[in-house]
Amino acid sequence: MLKDITLGQFFPGRSLLHRTDARIKIILLAVFLVFVLCAKSAAAFTFVAVCTAVLVIISAIPLKTIIKSLKPLMFVLIFTAVINLFFANGEDILLQWKFIKIYREGIENAIKMVVRLTCLVTGTSVLLTYTTSPLDLTDGIERLLTPLKHIGVPVHDFAMMMSIALRFIPTLIEETDKIISAQKARGADFESGNLFSRAKALIPILVPLFVSAYRRAFELAEAMECRCYRSGVGKTRMKVIKTRPADYIFLGISVVCCVGIFFLNQVVIPF
Amino acid sequence: MAFIQTEKLTYNYEGNLVPAVKEVSLSFEKGSYTAIIGHNGSGKSTLAKLLCGIFTPTGGKVFIDGMDSSDEEKQENIREKCGMVFQNPDNQIVSSVVEEDVAFAPENLGVEPKEIRKRVDDALAAVGMTEYAHHSAYKLSGGQKQRVAIAGILAMNPDCIVFDEATAMLDPAGRREISAAMNELNKRGITVITVTHHMNEAAMADRIVVMNKGEVAMDGTPREVFARVDELRSLSLAVPQVTELLYDLGLPEALHASEAADIIQKEIEKKCH
Ligand SMILES: Nc1ncnc2c1ncn2[C@@H]1O[C@H](COP(=O)(O)OP(=O)(O)OP(=O)(O)O)[C@@H](O)[C@H]1O
Ligand SMILES: [Mg+2]
Repeated sequence: MLKDITLGQFFPGRSLLHRTDARIKIILLAVFLVFVLCAKSAAAFTFVAVCTAVLVIISAIPLKTIIKSLKPLMFVLIFTAVINLFFANGEDILLQWKFIKIYREGIENAIKMVVRLTCLVTGTSVLLTYTTSPLDLTDGIERLLTPLKHIGVPVHDFAMMMSIALRFIPTLIEETDKIISAQKARGADFESGNLFSRAKALIPILVPLFVSAYRRAFELAEAMECRCYRSGVGKTRMKVIKTRPADYIFLGISVVCCVGIFFLNQVVIPF
Repeated sequence: MAFIQTEKLTYNYEGNLVPAVKEVSLSFEKGSYTAIIGHNGSGKSTLAKLLCGIFTPTGGKVFIDGMDSSDEEKQENIREKCGMVFQNPDNQIVSSVVEEDVAFAPENLGVEPKEIRKRVDDALAAVGMTEYAHHSAYKLSGGQKQRVAIAGILAMNPDCIVFDEATAMLDPAGRREISAAMNELNKRGITVITVTHHMNEAAMADRIVVMNKGEVAMDGTPREVFARVDELRSLSLAVPQVTELLYDLGLPEALHASEAADIIQKEIEKKCH
């Protein structure tokens, strides 16, 4: 069940997105997120969806993987859609049955919310985590934040922490699965009861998980020290990152696309 | 002076009444292959960490290639000379991609990019993982992960590798892979020290050190050590099954199945005549 979570996983490959400088991808992601959140009109949403689809295509990540990554989100998606559908107020009543009224605006909002969430998650995964190896990501973040070093922010440590967190997501998910099975075998019940008793049932999962994560962290620190880790002092890289002209072209096109959303927000296409 | 030399080495964890390692004086020659055995809590892991400078002794001294491990300034050099492979492969892999993980140590050391590339390729070839260079590390089998961990240490070009129960979490096939890798490394001139609970693995070493309550209880070749079956039993340790079988039959000791087969055959022939 938990195995379906592909968040933070990296899929090695040679696509254009894989080869793009991590720094550019991070900037792009920030821009992308802002514009997805800014989209208002139907035209803008269509455009966002198309952009996301294009990203998926050039990342060469199989569609199956993308759909699988959305599965855990299904509940949230359906929930927001339903809320928007039934609780929105508007002028155009499309359907009325007893006290349930469905407005045209409700349907519109529901669709927009679903598109927005889907694009947010897919965009983040495809742009960054799926196509950027954790070490590249660390390096990208570190280089972007380099100016902060001057005011004493431990930029390298922060970036390293983040990449290790990503690296351990699959390991910890696997572990959680094992703990759940072990507790079920001892008769634990996670599926019945009210919300409160269900939350309480999570304690026997979380406690061993924390204990084990702590032990892992300790061992990893020792192993890293053994491999001469010293917070990035005098560190070199095996793969020298060079920003190629293609990177800038890619950045340019994407920024133009994002700015396009601003204008598309003004366009009103009647449904 | 031997490659690694300890003098009355003592280590006491903070708050513990008895030291985990007590006045241990041992020396390990360059290129040697040593197994350390002992029951749970006998101080093997603590000793292993002292031998490669992760812990600094609370008493006595460790010299690694002539450098005192208590000397703060030498610590970096010692780490580079003497690597360590741990029990759980998951907890020593830093990056999700195999070759990036192997590159971690030389990157930290500030090695030139071209040289890193070469070291990574060599290290992966040495453990037979070249074809997995671009794979995700967490999808590999336990034995493969552990081989990646070994490659990660090899990329530092160390003179010595200490294995702390590196085969404990592996299935028999994975165990064979790692034992073979250890043998191979030793043939290349790397000093190998391995902590293990598997007597068959210990029998492959040139020398066995038996630990008990933080002290060295026995030290000798596998043949010498495994001949003392009663003593080992009193330390709640086993000997390899073939050795035990022949011992209980009252026959001369043997370390390997083929050797045992010869002895038994001779014995049968003798009885028949
Ligand atoms: N972090 C620690 N803090 C306090 N005491 C410790 C710590 N680690 C080990 N010890 C104690 O030191 C002693 C030796 O432990 P050590 O881990 O070296 O044994 P070991 O021979 O490796 O055992 P095992 O076969 O179980 O791995 C034990 O009595 C243990 O309780
Ligand atoms: Mg141990």
